[in-house]
Amino acid sequence: MPAKDYAPIDQNWLEEAGSLWTTPWVDKPSDRVIVDPIILSHAASLFRKNAGYFYQNPDEAIRMVCHACELYDVTPVGHYLYADYWGQDYGAEIKVQTNSPPGITKRPIKTAEDVDNFEVLDVDELTKGPTLTTHYKALDTCKEEFPHMFAPITQLGGTMEVATNWAAIEDVFMWMITEPELVDKLCVKAGDHMVNACKATSERYGANVMITGSVIASGDLMDTEQIKRFGFQPVSRAVRKVLNSGAGPGIYYHLCGNHTDDFEMWKNAPMSPFTIVQIGYDGQNIFPTSKLVEHFGDRCTCFGTVDTKLIDRGTPAQVYEQAKEQVTAGKDSPRGFILGTACECPTNAPPVNVHALVKAAKDHGKYEKF
Amino acid sequence: MDIKITEELDNTLKDNGFKKEEIQELIANAEASGTKLKARDGNVTIAKGGSDNLTVYAVYSPDELLDVYAHKMNILGLTGGELNEIDYDDASEWACAKCGEIALERNVDMTYMGVTRPGPGLVCPKCDEFYVSDGVAKTLKTAEAILEEKRA
Repeated sequence: MPAKDYAPIDQNWLEEAGSLWTTPWVDKPSDRVIVDPIILSHAASLFRKNAGYFYQNPDEAIRMVCHACELYDVTPVGHYLYADYWGQDYGAEIKVQTNSPPGITKRPIKTAEDVDNFEVLDVDELTKGPTLTTHYKALDTCKEEFPHMFAPITQLGGTMEVATNWAAIEDVFMWMITEPELVDKLCVKAGDHMVNACKATSERYGANVMITGSVIASGDLMDTEQIKRFGFQPVSRAVRKVLNSGAGPGIYYHLCGNHTDDFEMWKNAPMSPFTIVQIGYDGQNIFPTSKLVEHFGDRCTCFGTVDTKLIDRGTPAQVYEQAKEQVTAGKDSPRGFILGTACECPTNAPPVNVHALVKAAKDHGKYEKF
Repeated sequence: MDIKITEELDNTLKDNGFKKEEIQELIANAEASGTKLKARDGNVTIAKGGSDNLTVYAVYSPDELLDVYAHKMNILGLTGGELNEIDYDDASEWACAKCGEIALERNVDMTYMGVTRPGPGLVCPKCDEFYVSDGVAKTLKTAEAILEEKRA
């Protein structure tokens, strides 16, 4: 759908949402907590399109996301990304899927020798590569058509996410046991790649917000020492390099999955003045915002979460109740708070559940600290 | 200390509002006090000076000024208040000239326009002195611009 077919964005809403969005970063007083349900292909479902259409049409995807933000009254930021970034640039094959994000079907690294011979692309090569060409098409559309909803985001994932987009996850996990030094090498290369990707975005837009963290490197799949060695340490090194090369200032630590045993190490991860930490789960349960604020509240902006399973399959009352508990615990976090979902809003989540999430923030997320 | 300043760098200093005499004084103070960072594998030094509103850094070799950069965010101290053990290699490429300790790459709290947030600093673990690298100063410039726009 071309831009002319959308109704204009309400500028009063945009100004108000922009004000709410500013509060967690710069302590500027506003009425209540902002909500970020991490809307991606869910926006397509609101326009009777599917995830495949969303990801094949990055310019339209951004339009759908921006208008969904207005519809739900949430964070006014145009997102476009998916998990399986960066494989294609190195020769991986990717399959567009109708009802889920694109997935890698054939990876470039198959053997230990491939790891040794693997060369990270430089900034120019990445800029011209398929991942950033598509990503920047979305961001350029946002900058041109929705300038107040633009953020120069780079989707990285952590080193384990990049590594497993280059080599099959079963191979990487086998090497973690049989040849851990090989995975070290892979993670160093993943870190170098992350730095170059951030430099590319920073050079294009003058600033960069990196989405990194630890998804595969979580307690569901790896033990704490493995998370430290293959996730936390190489990610920290990469983030430091990014900041030391001037390619910041935004850092979004997205710790998806179970982080009961490793979340504390992330307190010392490199941070910039615009750092946000989001932790998905504490064992099988949603990570309590009270615990998040206790450990990170005096350091950076906290992103409290509601279980994406509830958003997808729960009732509005269940979503509202969990959101109420989380927002009440987090709203006055010293260095800012955002309420959202543990991960991306599921494509076909019932809109009433997203509405219930936002309603809880409006009802129970009024600021008292200002 | 007689230090050479190339025409190109001199122009950069002028463009960014730095006075050559102030930079020379900053270097002289660092040389006299020993409060400076030395590259662990070379002859390059970082000196700092300025006020609460602006911290200025001069990077120089024994005979030439190499770079000058600054940030407005004021460093308050270590994020979390203490120098705890951390789980990754935080040794920087720099060492404190005064005590010889390797400067650590740690988060430090920075404040500007009433907002306090962490940022990546270079910390002497013994002398409690804080610095930032030139690249981080570039990152902080972007952060300062955002704060100036949003806090106005």
